[in-house]
Amino acid sequence: MARVKVEQQQPATGVTLIVLVGLAIAFLLFMAFLNVVKSGNLLNETNLLFAALIFYSGAGALYLGFGITGTESYVKFASLATGLGLIANTAAIAHRWYEAGHAPFSSVYEMLLSFVWTLAVLTLVAEKKYGVKVIGTVTMPVAIVGVVLMQLLRTDVHPLVPALQSTWLHVHVTLAMLAYAACALSFALAAMFLIQDNVKTETFLAATSASTLAIYASVVLTRFEKWGGLSLVAWNPEQKSEVFLSRGVRLFVTIPDLGWLMTLTLLVVASPLVFYGLARWKHSDSFLTLANRAVFLSILLQVMTLVMFLVRASDGSYPSLDAEGLFPTSLAASPFILSGLVGGVFISLLYLLLVWRRPDLGRLLPSADNLDRITYKTICLAFPLLTLMIASGAYWANQTWGSYWSWDPKETWAAITWLVYALYLHMRITRGWRGRRAAYFAIGGFAVVMFTFFGVTYLLPGLHAYA
Amino acid sequence: MAVDLRALANKTWRTIASIQTGVVLLILVVILSAVGTIVLQRPTTDADEMQSAYSPHVLRILDAVGLTDVFHSWWFLGLVLLVSLCITAASIDRFPNSWRYFSRPYKYPDEGFRRASHPQKSLAIADEESGLVAAQRALHSLGFKPERVVREDHFGIFAERHRISELAVYIVHASLLLIFFGTIVDGIWGWRGYLSLNEGQSSNIVELHDGSTRTLPFAIRCDAAGQENYKDGTPKKWWSKLAVVEDGRDVQKKEIVVNDPLLYSGVRFYQSSYGPNGKVDKLLLVATPNKSSGEKQEVGLALNDTVPLDADTTVRFAEFFPDFAVRDGEVYRKSNQLENPAAHLVVTSKRAGKDFDVWLPAMDGVADNSLAPYQFQATDLKMGHFTGLQVSHEPGQWGVWSGVVLMGIGLAFVFYVVHMRFWVVPVRDPKTGKTLLWIGGTANRNRDAFEQRFNDLVALVEGELKTIPGTRSEQVATGISN
Repeated sequence: MARVKVEQQQPATGVTLIVLVGLAIAFLLFMAFLNVVKSGNLLNETNLLFAALIFYSGAGALYLGFGITGTESYVKFASLATGLGLIANTAAIAHRWYEAGHAPFSSVYEMLLSFVWTLAVLTLVAEKKYGVKVIGTVTMPVAIVGVVLMQLLRTDVHPLVPALQSTWLHVHVTLAMLAYAACALSFALAAMFLIQDNVKTETFLAATSASTLAIYASVVLTRFEKWGGLSLVAWNPEQKSEVFLSRGVRLFVTIPDLGWLMTLTLLVVASPLVFYGLARWKHSDSFLTLANRAVFLSILLQVMTLVMFLVRASDGSYPSLDAEGLFPTSLAASPFILSGLVGGVFISLLYLLLVWRRPDLGRLLPSADNLDRITYKTICLAFPLLTLMIASGAYWANQTWGSYWSWDPKETWAAITWLVYALYLHMRITRGWRGRRAAYFAIGGFAVVMFTFFGVTYLLPGLHAYA
Repeated sequence: MAVDLRALANKTWRTIASIQTGVVLLILVVILSAVGTIVLQRPTTDADEMQSAYSPHVLRILDAVGLTDVFHSWWFLGLVLLVSLCITAASIDRFPNSWRYFSRPYKYPDEGFRRASHPQKSLAIADEESGLVAAQRALHSLGFKPERVVREDHFGIFAERHRISELAVYIVHASLLLIFFGTIVDGIWGWRGYLSLNEGQSSNIVELHDGSTRTLPFAIRCDAAGQENYKDGTPKKWWSKLAVVEDGRDVQKKEIVVNDPLLYSGVRFYQSSYGPNGKVDKLLLVATPNKSSGEKQEVGLALNDTVPLDADTTVRFAEFFPDFAVRDGEVYRKSNQLENPAAHLVVTSKRAGKDFDVWLPAMDGVADNSLAPYQFQATDLKMGHFTGLQVSHEPGQWGVWSGVVLMGIGLAFVFYVVHMRFWVVPVRDPKTGKTLLWIGGTANRNRDAFEQRFNDLVALVEGELKTIPGTRSEQVATGISN
């Protein structure tokens, strides 16, 4: 745990930010309290979640401040705010659990609730145990996005259809969340390792562009309709559910013109990758400057696309290609597209942070050796969790459908994820892979996890229609 | 020639047991599985959908190479077998070494080992015995069972913990093989199917997923089935009371619900669906005679029941439509959902010498309700229900589950149980000629945590040395530590 001592930078601003964030938290809590007094119901889920959001936002602001300025004193307050947010988050989960009578893992909303919780716990663990203080700069904004998404996807306590009434399912989903969170952490640590291992900034540029390109490509390829529309699942506001034409066939509505905007953004997010390729080919740094400018432009366009998507998908009725008339849709009907768009903006912003503060990040992060070792340890944690996740899922499937393995795409991809991490462990243990190769492998493993979690649900059909 | 053969066999063995082969095979499995999730698979897709998704030419090629049913194709099975072979060979190849390591622990570190060992430390001691006693006590207090090693010309202390951890990886490999074995057994001897029973019905014929049927040596009877709903109308629970009938006797009875199957002689019956079967159980009617003299009467009819209404009139429940439509004077069944039911009654009058078709509800051009000697009014309709059962026979699943449990144990050992070894040897410093206590240790994983533990041990030994009279605890030489 040999860490370079961080010099105090601009102590004046440091105090200002803490005071500002503290005041903002106090103000918001006070306003929320006034609201609560009016309604007279203090400890319900909405209030608890709102409190969690306030604390997480405070923590996120402080962690970001730490990431950008490197002021050590932020971290103490940031982890305090994370801890308080975690308490509120835990209480919200407990409240929902009590209300529903089953563990809160049956809808996207409830899964987000536990995902954010896991993220906060892991952030605190990584910080306190391993001294990776800057991790909050990455994880807390994700947690904030998670809580905001939850506000959008609010669902009432839903009764469970018979197939979902099993303790094993809850065990399965909990393990999945824990395993995926551990994989996410190993990915973040591997990325940090690459920063510490002096991987060129333009390599990160290419990776950023490629991942945002993947997001927009999967949206455009699957959802672009004739005449530039974007098709989304229709939403029934009364029943708070997706609209089905028949069993398993969803009704899609088409939002006009949004498809063009998505395509335009797709081209712009792809452009840094093109410039990067040109720079490699022509050995000219001027293309890299262009690429960086293109990243700026792509962030602007991505934000615009996100705003347009939020505005148009949250409200209004649109025509459908499959049925006569106008149908409403909602953000809750397209959680994956929404998280994809938010994720794209987030990844690009992280790249900006890297471009601007690379020397500071170098000082703030633990040494490359340590990061390498912690990445491995996180995967040592993730792998048994993945194994148990698959096993409990198989056991549940056997109880419910009479078959422990039916090769549906989600199962197959879970097995692929497991194999990829198994390969990582073999390469590391028997071939002695360390450093960069291991880090690239860990990053690849997480890409497979993301595909299993989002891609399979979104792109491939299967039995896992519930999740 | 024989030598050549042996060399060839040896080379083949090396190839199969090598990690490279394993990695290549696993990558192949990954790629082919991924292909199997992208190309539509026959077992889970309708034939029509397959045809509309791919052109006939492409479909023919895909079918020919087995890409439309990757996970049941011979080459995928072959690949899994090859992976199993590779794991087995690799384990056999490496096992003797590990076993030697496991069964004959290295208890006395020679000079070369001492020089290269990390972490290590040397403490100054007054005499050999007091140093060893101090080390023994320190190891005891850390929960180890130190052992005196005495050879002809040297002696020392050896202590270790969790030696089994060295073999854990074989447990994991064995468990994986057990899982493969179970899956292959199920692939060959197992089957899955579907059985739909109406209340009161019994059957021993299961419709398999590949379209064929299978006759069981016993029958299953559904005595009752039902559904419980939440307040908002979504189903909460499906249940069925099942009985196993063998040789005309009820040998087992159980009420099954989703997630709680019935098991009889290796065959499992799972509740998978429940609903109206579109068949009527009982239709309750009020019959009013056209003649003013007759009495109103209540009649209950099952399908095809005939009931007398008076001396020369009978009514028969001829047809039932849960969801009907009329076209060109014919009545059609639109669906099996109880949406828009219609009943066809045949009233036979001996006096009139003819039959009257009575329809409920009345339909122009089809029914002659008004001509019939009785007028009917439906008061209640009791529908029959079916219970849908998934049936499966998976003789290999015990292999799978024991493999899973074994793998859990194995992984726990692989990742969290550390084989730690400590050696303590009195040595003479070649330069000063003083007696030193050399302490060394290794762990097979998690080395930073181990170094911490090693430093704790050294501190404890130093503390013990102080309590033993006539010992200087001054540290003379230190090896590389941290």
